[in-house]
Amino acid sequence: MQNHIMSKSKLDSIAVEVKEVSFSYNNLRVIDRLSLRVPKGISFGLLGPNGAGKTTLIRLAVGLLKPKSGNIRILGEPPSRKTAHLIGYMPQLHSLYAELSVRQNVDFFARIYRLTNKPERSERVEEVIKLVDLWQRRNDAVLKLSSGMRQRVSMACAIVHKPPLLFLDEPTVGLDPELRVTFWEYFNNLTKQGNTLIISSHTMDDAAHCDRLAFMRDGRVIAQGAPNELKQATGQPEASLEDAFLYFLHSEEKKRDS
Amino acid sequence: MIPSQAFTIAGRVIRQLVRDRRTMALIVIVPLVVMTLIGLSFPESNVLDYIAPALLATLALFFSFLLTGISFLRERSQGTMERLMASPLSRLDIVLGYLFGFFIFALTQSLIILLFTIYALGVNYFGDLWQIFVFQIVIITGAVTLGIFISTFARNEFQMVQFIPLIIIPQIFLCGVIWPVEQMPDYLQWLSVVLPLTYAVDGLREIMLAGKNLLDVGFELAVLVGFVVLTSILAALTLRRGASG
Repeated sequence: MQNHIMSKSKLDSIAVEVKEVSFSYNNLRVIDRLSLRVPKGISFGLLGPNGAGKTTLIRLAVGLLKPKSGNIRILGEPPSRKTAHLIGYMPQLHSLYAELSVRQNVDFFARIYRLTNKPERSERVEEVIKLVDLWQRRNDAVLKLSSGMRQRVSMACAIVHKPPLLFLDEPTVGLDPELRVTFWEYFNNLTKQGNTLIISSHTMDDAAHCDRLAFMRDGRVIAQGAPNELKQATGQPEASLEDAFLYFLHSEEKKRDS
Repeated sequence: MIPSQAFTIAGRVIRQLVRDRRTMALIVIVPLVVMTLIGLSFPESNVLDYIAPALLATLALFFSFLLTGISFLRERSQGTMERLMASPLSRLDIVLGYLFGFFIFALTQSLIILLFTIYALGVNYFGDLWQIFVFQIVIITGAVTLGIFISTFARNEFQMVQFIPLIIIPQIFLCGVIWPVEQMPDYLQWLSVVLPLTYAVDGLREIMLAGKNLLDVGFELAVLVGFVVLTSILAALTLRRGASG
């Protein structure tokens, strides 16, 4: 009985669970029997080169793709329309309505995520636009904004409905260093409030900011852990995350060869 | 009955197109230019009177299909469809939302064409103007849902443009626009049975040339409504998040 309670509370603390998931595009296996667990309230980085399967994994988790085998749980449920409101999703493309203003874009996403009460919605829309520091540009069409600004609008659209779980696909690409710092400050605030963030990236700079990391290669997770744990695993005191990635990559290749 | 979120999407589609001033101007000017040229090319007005119903049906199909197909494809290529598909919206919300949104512009174009044909080109017709217009609305709705459905099979604008001759031109030749269906070989007559423009042209001719009313063309109307329902369902089932997959 106690065991049962323990396992339930353990499950309650898991935001995303991926078990033995495989997925292929036209017979090309993009995700290969991948398993991982993301505890609630942390920032979890998916790190790996282009083509490692990061975006596909995110698409599977938000329910845009169905796994060929294995299963996924989002806050205890399989991804579906029922879980959609719990998720904020920022795709890799800016994915905004270019002719519409910043405010119209954010307001549209607030509406489709059922923020039906108008005064509450307006307040929340204003709040997130200020948060991404675009209040001065709120009435400008997105097509007049720089790439970094669009990235911020995209972010505002993903968080406007206050989702407890956020999937951010390469959110820092194209951002200048100053803005990158601002984004990370913001991500850290979100996790402090108990939200879970899953962030894909191919830069080690982003990796260092995450609470936990999964190194990915060819559709598989080759290592998981906190950044420090991963560095220590190399056995070299001065190892960087880059060294750690290469270390795990080589040991994975050795395992495969043998 | 109608998913409420469809109106949110429709509102956004309308706002977006209205903010694109050049597109708005083209939506109004292009049908006017086309109709003027067609009008000038028919010096004998009785020929134009006869061809007018088929012309109205064909242009309603052509303009509405073009507008919808390209706009909907853009939703996918710019990645916004991916976001909608990950949201709590149902597929029906999405298809109906776009249907309502694009419908307003398709309706505007068809109204311009109809009024220009009747008042500027002075085409003679029987039947009530409002009944002609109601019949046009059904044609436009079918063209919009067809545009949404067909755009699923295009991965970029260039491919979508290739679908226009494939979908529109055979219908012009096989649906009695130029040559009566009864005088075509049997196998082509069978083909014309499944093409919506056949019913659109027949129905409009009955109203405009024979002075019949909407009840008299109930069969044609029912087939066109059936086509709307079928293409809406197919569009909802085949809806894809992106242009690439």
